[in-house]
Amino acid sequence: MNPLHSTAATNEHPVVVTRVAERQWHALDDDQVVGRGHTSPRPDGRVFLSIDAWHGAVFDRLADAMLTDLPRPLHTVVDEADLDQRSGWERIGFTVRRREREYLVPTDPELTGLHAVRPPSGVTVVPLGEAEDGPLRALDRAVRTEVGATVGWETMPAEVVPLPRGVTVLDPSRYAVAARGDRYVGLVRLAPVPRQPRIGLIAVRADQQRHGIARALLAEVLGSLHRSGVAAASAEVDASNKAATALFEGLGSRLAGGNLELVCR
Amino acid sequence: MTKTAEGIQVEGTVIECLRNATFTVELQNGHKVLAHISGKIRKNYIKILPYDRVLVELSPYDLNRGRILFRYRN
Repeated sequence: MNPLHSTAATNEHPVVVTRVAERQWHALDDDQVVGRGHTSPRPDGRVFLSIDAWHGAVFDRLADAMLTDLPRPLHTVVDEADLDQRSGWERIGFTVRRREREYLVPTDPELTGLHAVRPPSGVTVVPLGEAEDGPLRALDRAVRTEVGATVGWETMPAEVVPLPRGVTVLDPSRYAVAARGDRYVGLVRLAPVPRQPRIGLIAVRADQQRHGIARALLAEVLGSLHRSGVAAASAEVDASNKAATALFEGLGSRLAGGNLELVCR
Repeated sequence: MTKTAEGIQVEGTVIECLRNATFTVELQNGHKVLAHISGKIRKNYIKILPYDRVLVELSPYDLNRGRILFRYRN
C-alpha cells in the first residue's frame, strides 16, 4: 500500500518496514517476513495494535513505523505473564492503563456455594434464551448508560467483535436476565463455547445492586452449565472492580491469568 | 508443513499450557515446540487451551520455538 517506510540494520541484514495494507505492516529481511504489525478497531472506537517479531530490534522498527503513521491514543493487550512483550511496548512509550484478571469459575453448586441461592423477594430469573428481546435491549442500554456515567464502559470486559452501529445485544439467546415485575433489572451474557464457556458480561441496574441479584443470575447460568456436564467457565474481571472481584472470588474461582491493556497517548 | 515468504508454518496440537504465556505444541511430525500466542490472537481475546489444534509459525532462528498464528475450530 504505502512505499518503503523505514530501514534499519539488525546484525548484518537491513530490515525494511512497509505498510502493505491499511491495517498491516511487514518487516522484510532479504524478502523474508521477519515481523508483522496489525491494527484492529474495537467497537468502542479505540485502535489496538499488535506486533509479532522474532527480534526486539525488528519489533522496535515496526513500532516506530506504526506510531509514525497512526494517530494517538493507541492501545494494545499483552499477557501479564509475558514480560518480554510488555517490556517491548513499554520501551516505545506504552504504559499500563488497565489490568484484567481471568478467572476459572467452577460450576458445581457445592463448590460455588450457590446451591441454596434464590433470587431476592420479588425478583425472578429468566433462564438463558428465554429473555424477551425488547426489554433485554432496553436493559442493556440502561446499564451501558449507567456504567458510562460512573466507572466508564472501558472498565467492563473487552468487546472485540464488530457490531452493527448502535447494536450491543447481538444474540439475545446468550442472556439470562433478572426481572422485577415486568422490568428487567440484571443480565448475564454467556458465550457458549463448548470447550470452555465464557461469562462475557454480568451487570445489575444501579438501583437494584447489593440485593444478591448477580449471585442469583450466576446460580442460574452456572447451574445450567453444571447440569450439562461443564465443569468451569471463564470470566475476565477488571482488577479495579472490587465488587466483581469479590463476587467471583467468593465462588471459589481460580485465578488463571491476566491481561494488561497498555496505551500510548 | 508450508514454507512461505512468511516462514515455516505447520499445524499442531497444544498439549500443555506453561507459565509466561507459552505453550507446548506437538507438531504433526511429532516434534514438540515451545510457542507463544501471536499478538494478533491476543488482542482478539482468542483463548488457547490444551487439545486445541493450532497453526504455528516456527522461528527461523530456532526451530524449537514458534508463534501460534491461528486456532482451528475443532
